[in-house]
Amino acid sequence: MKLELGNFYVKDIVFGEETSYKDGILTINKEEALAIVKEDEHITEADIAIVKPGDMVRLVPVKEAIEPRYRIGGGPVFPGVTGDLMKTGDGRTLALKNCSVIVVGKRWGGFQDGLIDMGGEGAKYTYYSQLKNIVLVADSDEEFEKREQQKKNHALRWAGMRLSEYIGKCVSEIEPEEIEEFELEPITKRSSKINDLPSVVLVLQPQSQMEELGYNDLVYGWDCNRMVPTFMHPNEVLDGAMISGSFMPCSSKWSTYDFQNLPMIKRLYKEHGKTLNFLGIIMSNLNVALEQKERAALFVAQMAKSIGADSAIVAEEGYGNPDADFIACIAALEDAGVKTIGLTNECTGRDGGSQPLVTLDQKANAIVSCGNVSELIELPPMETVLGELEALARDGLSGGWSGDELLGPSVREDGSIIMENNAMFCGDQVVGWSTKTMAEY
Amino acid sequence: MKKAILYLNQFFGQIGGEDVADFAPEIREGLIGPALPLNQKLKGVAEVTHTIICGDNFMGSNQDEAIETILEFLKDKEFDIFFAGPAFRAGRYGSACGNICKAVKEKFNVPVVTSMNDENPGVEMFKSEMYILKGGASAAKMRLDVKDMANLGIKLLKGEEILSAEEEGYYGRGKRHQKWLNPPVNATDRVIDMLLKKIRGEKFTTELPIPELDLVPIAPAIKDMSKAKIALATSGGIVPVENPDRIQSASATRWGKYDISKLDNLPSGVFKTIHAGYDPAAADANPDVCVPLDALRAYEKEGRIGKVHDYFYTTVGTGTTQKEAARMGREIVEDMLSAGVDAVILTST
Repeated sequence: MKLELGNFYVKDIVFGEETSYKDGILTINKEEALAIVKEDEHITEADIAIVKPGDMVRLVPVKEAIEPRYRIGGGPVFPGVTGDLMKTGDGRTLALKNCSVIVVGKRWGGFQDGLIDMGGEGAKYTYYSQLKNIVLVADSDEEFEKREQQKKNHALRWAGMRLSEYIGKCVSEIEPEEIEEFELEPITKRSSKINDLPSVVLVLQPQSQMEELGYNDLVYGWDCNRMVPTFMHPNEVLDGAMISGSFMPCSSKWSTYDFQNLPMIKRLYKEHGKTLNFLGIIMSNLNVALEQKERAALFVAQMAKSIGADSAIVAEEGYGNPDADFIACIAALEDAGVKTIGLTNECTGRDGGSQPLVTLDQKANAIVSCGNVSELIELPPMETVLGELEALARDGLSGGWSGDELLGPSVREDGSIIMENNAMFCGDQVVGWSTKTMAEY
Repeated sequence: MKKAILYLNQFFGQIGGEDVADFAPEIREGLIGPALPLNQKLKGVAEVTHTIICGDNFMGSNQDEAIETILEFLKDKEFDIFFAGPAFRAGRYGSACGNICKAVKEKFNVPVVTSMNDENPGVEMFKSEMYILKGGASAAKMRLDVKDMANLGIKLLKGEEILSAEEEGYYGRGKRHQKWLNPPVNATDRVIDMLLKKIRGEKFTTELPIPELDLVPIAPAIKDMSKAKIALATSGGIVPVENPDRIQSASATRWGKYDISKLDNLPSGVFKTIHAGYDPAAADANPDVCVPLDALRAYEKEGRIGKVHDYFYTTVGTGTTQKEAARMGREIVEDMLSAGVDAVILTST
């Protein structure tokens, strides 16, 4: 399978008459873009803003981030989600780089939603402050979940995907500025030079904790809660086979943009043929019942062994209950003789004194750690807020609260905030960007 | 200029050796022994105004009296930081430094700094409560250890950021926090580096050392269940619908206990879950699926258990730190023990 990602490096984004891309300038016809958003009658209000790195703007409640793309041939960017099912990862897809479509609730937030500061001291807590962002701020008539802490956010998330496809389409006829190639030979057809290298498989554990459909990550539109681990080609992940869900405390979450650009995959491609033989991906999950966790670990270890993996990297999208899957999977792989590295974040509490993962095993002796979900963060007021600041305190965001005996509410009258890292949008960057680690103090 | 006070034992306080180890505490103005280099290394940020000397045996055998006397000495002194040692590998001295630093920190709320060798038993006893710098095995390392104490002291006095245990050279206090790597290194690079080393059998350093597990032994079985009082407890967030104790939906720090003495089950609409980490539909529709009072009442009627405890206990487990959970667990157990509960069914979700 060979994927070509045709890249366009966006230097600036402006509103204008025609949605188009020229010389690094992405122009968006706002009216037309909003019409695409409102194709879903459940969208009741919508507006679009443009924010750039350094802008003194706070976005909250942020629900999703998506890279604008176009699939050559015109198929859906997210097969099984925004269109019919089709193969991904083989062929050419165009991507607008350095930018993303960010979906923000105009009023209502939920457990999984997060916060982005584009400028100031809060900017370092999230990857998305480095991007130029097309911000969709919208509301829906999904009354059933308006006051629920858990929200599917279906209308808004799908509107974000439609908007990203609409924007991506403007480069459909233009020759990309750069082509990134991703090609892996079938495992049994590789040269002896590659076969002699230590082999590695990447085990991804996307979020799938909700029994009810509509909250979890999707693979080709299929709810990850309803799957057992399966073998995938890395190109499928890079090319729209996976979309983010709407459940996990936000700093632990992987956005759809994260899947489309998954740094660990790109890094393994760089090593492929040089130091490692990159076999592919085992897509596992994070279901809550113990038997489901054990079953998933069995599948992963068997598959890794059957394809001859000498080593594995296991990354989890979550903390708490999913730590059990993470550790069980590492232990099962080590038991099968597969040398394994874990990639995760930790929950050591505000004072740093708690056990880092809910389960531990001495077999998990090689872990890269990307942050503490419960680190306390205090930030000054921001000139502009897109969305509704009060959502952080009012709506049960995982890192916000309406009142606390010692700390007061997360959102103060002057617009300054105090929160846990938990609510930083995809803040721990367990997909691989993170330059954070954990240390003992 | 800020002011500092240093604690020494009889030997470094120049009173004498083992024969005067029961020397009672004294405070002296000015600089004695290691106070001189310490004062110098504080580089004018602070001056050492007093030296306290106490015999190791005196501190060991009359700890309360020694500490009380020293705290009394300090009552009318102005000081911004308290140093003790360095204690090197001397066990009694290390323990004395730890004890006095702990007491001074608690009473006067000033930063305290000491230094010990990793074989000094004082390290294990006190490292979670204060900055203990990693010191040398013997007084040959005096200059170096005093310099390290002074450097950390200067940072504390200036309110500068104290870096991680490894970077600053103190024993880890059991607190793990996030930090940005400088220079930045992506997680992907760290993974590949660790992976290649692990594959090649080279030495690598995990970023999450697995601590030893704090396993609680399983209690002995109850011999006669027909006489046992059984309590129900849950981390599933079942509460009266108005959540009277405002237990948090995630990262809980509060627990509640609610009267069920007149109930045969937990009716929907009267109880619900406020737990944000699982789908609430089933537990809201029938709270007994989370706190099985209905089943336990049936057992009670059948005589299979003696009695259901009059209260059930509840908190929320999602995002709740192990430390908070342990504290709440201890508080709940205390309440249960005082009510004569023999066994608990703890339900999770």
